[in-house]
Formats: sequence, C-alpha cells, structure tokens
Amino acid sequence: MAKKVEKIELALPFKAEYVSVARLTASGIAARMGFDIESVEDIKVALSEVCNKLVSAGSKSSDRYVIDFIIHSSKIEILINFEDRRLAGLFGTNGDELGISIIEALMDTFKVSTDDSNTLSMSKEIKGKI
Amino acid sequence: MSSELKITEVKHRFNTEVLLSGEVDIYTSQMLKEKLYGILDDTKQDMLINCEGLTYIDSTGLGIFVGVLKKAKQYGKGIRISKLKENIKKLFLITGLDKLFVILD
Repeated sequence: MAKKVEKIELALPFKAEYVSVARLTASGIAARMGFDIESVEDIKVALSEVCNKLVSAGSKSSDRYVIDFIIHSSKIEILINFEDRRLAGLFGTNGDELGISIIEALMDTFKVSTDDSNTLSMSKEIKGKI
Repeated sequence: MSSELKITEVKHRFNTEVLLSGEVDIYTSQMLKEKLYGILDDTKQDMLINCEGLTYIDSTGLGIFVGVLKKAKQYGKGIRISKLKENIKKLFLITGLDKLFVILD
C-alpha cells in the first residue's frame, strides 16, 4: 500500500554548533521510518558531511541553508538547498575527497544540481522494503 | 550532554593513552586537534587513542587523526587506535585510513 509522501523542513544557520541538530533530526526521522541502526548511522554521517562543507565555506548571500527530508514509503530523500551558487562547487571533483567519498559510500544516490536551484540531493532505500 | 567530547590523558611509562568519549564533529574537532597536538608536543611519546567511548566522528575528525599521525612521525613516534565502534570502523574502511593506522581491537 503506497504511503503519502511527507516532507519535513529544517533551516539552519551556517554555524558549526548546529550541525549536530541536522544529525539528530536525520537520525530521528530515519529511525521513525524503519531504517536499521546501521543505515540510520549512515544517513547521519552523510548529512553531516554535507553540512560541514556548507558551514566551513559559509555564505555571503544568505544566513541559512534549508534541509528537506522527504519521506517516501521505502526511501528517504534529503535535499539541501542553498542560495549561494558558489557552494555547489564544494562538491565537485576538486572538493575534499574524504567527505565526498564518505557520502558516496553511505548513500544510494548523491547529486548536485546547479541549474535553476542550488540543491544537493541524496537518498537511501530501506533495506528489505519494496 | 552525552554528545559532548571528553578527552582524558593517561600517561604511561612509554606511551600516552588518550581516551575519547562523545562525538567529534566540526564543532568539537578544533578542541581535539589542540589537545592531541599539545600532548604530542609535550610528551614526544607514542600515542594510543582509545575510542571506546567515541560514538561519532566525521571527516574533520578523521583529518585530525591523520594530522596527528604526521606530527607523531616527525618525532619518530607512532599512533595506535583502539576499541573503535563498528560504525566508526566502517568510516576507516571506506576512507582507506585503516591502512594508514595501526588499529587494535
């Protein structure tokens, strides 16, 4: 039976002390959805890596970035929206490899979009659910 | 708060053990860096980083471990890491850092 897609939004300042809030929120949502402990941990770590990069670089055009958690019946999709187009470059091939390799290894998909919106998206399926 | 980072230094005869507990993230990593670098500069001994109480680390924390290892090598010393939780050991495997460090159970 298909469940309605739900969205939870979190807007955070570009400050290091609030990255843990993103992490705790992600872990609460993922656990609520039925991810196993290891996958909850993967989602937390991957999202933190994205937040770390945004916070380290900072932004001149806005004081916050917005994280959308989109809850599908069998997967979580996380969109990270930021106004400052420059920030997308942080996740390119010249970016810090340690953080990127962690995100790519832990999530099923990871994409950066710079067309009309500056958004990073990543997703992970719940194991065993169709 | 349990997520706070606590760093405890225990001096042994031939090495220094550093016990970490809590979370290392972008906010707490600077404190970890200052503490570990300071201990190395003071003791110039091998270091054992005991991670039994460490519940979370991100790439900034892993980067600091690498920096500490480089610094230890300058003194002709080594870094060993012990008692990693499975979720953290996974990050060492993903990043290949398991090959760089001596990791003990």
